[in-house]
Amino acid sequence: MRKRSGTRDQGYGVSLKRNPLFFIFTRVIIIVTIIVILFPILYIFSLSLRTKETVYQDTLFLVPKAVTHKNYIDAWNYAKERLNVTFLQMFRNSIICTVSAISLSILFASLGSFSFSQYRFKGKELAFTTIIASYVVPAQVLLIPLFFVMKRLGLLNNYLAVIFPYIGFSMPIATLILRSFFEQIPQEIKEAAIIDGARDFQVFVRIILPLSAPALASCIILLFLETWNEFIYALVFLQNPKIQTIPVAIAKIAGGKYIVPIGTYGAAIMITVIPVLIVFMLFQKWFIAGMTMGAVKG
Amino acid sequence: MFKDRMLTVDHRFRPYVYLVPSLMIFFVFVLSPIIFSLTLSYYNFTGYDANVFKEYVGWKNYKTLFADRYFWISLRNTVYFVGASISIQVAVALFLAIIIFIGRFRFSVMIRTIIFFPGVLAPVSVSLAWRRMLEQDGVVNQILGINFSWLSSVHLAIWCVIFVSIWQWVGYNLVIFYAGLQSIDIEMLEAADVDGANWLTKITRIIIPSLAPTIILNVILNLIGSFRVFDVVYVLTRGGPIHNSEVLTTIMYYYSFAANGPNKMGVGSSVAVIMFGVVILFGIARILTLRRRNV
Repeated sequence: MRKRSGTRDQGYGVSLKRNPLFFIFTRVIIIVTIIVILFPILYIFSLSLRTKETVYQDTLFLVPKAVTHKNYIDAWNYAKERLNVTFLQMFRNSIICTVSAISLSILFASLGSFSFSQYRFKGKELAFTTIIASYVVPAQVLLIPLFFVMKRLGLLNNYLAVIFPYIGFSMPIATLILRSFFEQIPQEIKEAAIIDGARDFQVFVRIILPLSAPALASCIILLFLETWNEFIYALVFLQNPKIQTIPVAIAKIAGGKYIVPIGTYGAAIMITVIPVLIVFMLFQKWFIAGMTMGAVKG
Repeated sequence: MFKDRMLTVDHRFRPYVYLVPSLMIFFVFVLSPIIFSLTLSYYNFTGYDANVFKEYVGWKNYKTLFADRYFWISLRNTVYFVGASISIQVAVALFLAIIIFIGRFRFSVMIRTIIFFPGVLAPVSVSLAWRRMLEQDGVVNQILGINFSWLSSVHLAIWCVIFVSIWQWVGYNLVIFYAGLQSIDIEMLEAADVDGANWLTKITRIIIPSLAPTIILNVILNLIGSFRVFDVVYVLTRGGPIHNSEVLTTIMYYYSFAANGPNKMGVGSSVAVIMFGVVILFGIARILTLRRRNV
């Protein structure tokens, strides 16, 4: 029989025969939990597919009687007309900010981690501890000073105004993960390369980076989620609607000047959720590994 | 000959060269703003001022802040938020992780993935969804068969926000707990079976004690995460009704940037300094507890 790895991690636990009550109890708990977790997502999805007439009818029954995609068109137009930014622009803005922030952050963090993991030098542990300690400082503490820094640099309403802080905030955790991973790579491999005539930078590019692919992937996912979902910096530094990222632009549908029809509201949320859902389903193992790796290393 | 080039040997400049980009970003965008922010709270200024250091006011910003009863409410709410996420959220995650672990579920991976999923969504999207559901004509009231305005309740609004945050992040804690559970020695549990131990004893005597480091880890993560929470509060309630669900981060935003706020960035800075002080205190406490354990 094919070994179904992962479907049952342990051969240990309650069985239906020996503890029937307890066995059923675990099933009930988990089913209730899954309903509580999935219901809001499915509910909003269901709202987004309903026509104006059915949006108040049997909403508890998630499958609508009549399905329409009109809400998505309405949400698209609503964003264009009322929020002054199209969904395409929102996604473009989020992609620009996220991709540049995480690629630079990982580049800088891996260079730094290479130095931390390979060399002995004065001030090493002090530099490392300071960088890591900054991870616990809430980003909001730096909001006002950075606002004036960006203003002085003339970067407000420019992608760079959020990209630089994002690099600064995400680098500590990336450095933490990458340093410990680089240190696990056996010293013999590196020394063999040096004997073959590689210079340190070549060791870094040819040996360490390729071997660290899993750690880099976890870092990318961890930093992706942090920057893609980041809110307060984008809210304060990107005032021009045209360059706002998805969370900031979409947050305005709540409590804004105009009343949004419920179906449109649901569709607008789903437009932001569906891409993440697809990416998550494709890379779910990496997501969980990435997010827990950051945690466990911390 | 090539001993000089061995990587582990001290080099004079090379290690620093690799650190230049990260240290530069770190100094310009993290460390110097921290120092900058400590001084800002003694000045009176707005977001439109070019020179923020023109009017030194001493402790006046702190006096304004401490005289504001909503600051104390926001402090209380932050304590609630942190308290709930390090107790309720961790407890629920631990409970669910143990249930999944000992329940021998066929789709264990899928169950964990589903419970984890809200953690990858933007808190803004999650809050928008729950905002709709918690409206007076929303689905929560429909299920409970009552007519209650959750988010405009002076006492309950902050708890609704806390609930949504727990809903979103409980799966994250769960996955970390589950990773901890998988490293538990099964033989120990089987030995307990031989001794005739029941499940309650096994959970309280073996499983939970061996998860102690994971519990501490989750508590610290939630402490860091819930202390800086902003978007859930901002989207769900905007701190309302009348600032009753404000937390430290949102009251700082209100004082400094909000369109309907007083635009007193000095007072906002003093909130930031207080937050920074709390973080430092926790950091010191953490270091002290670590020391004690080592002794």
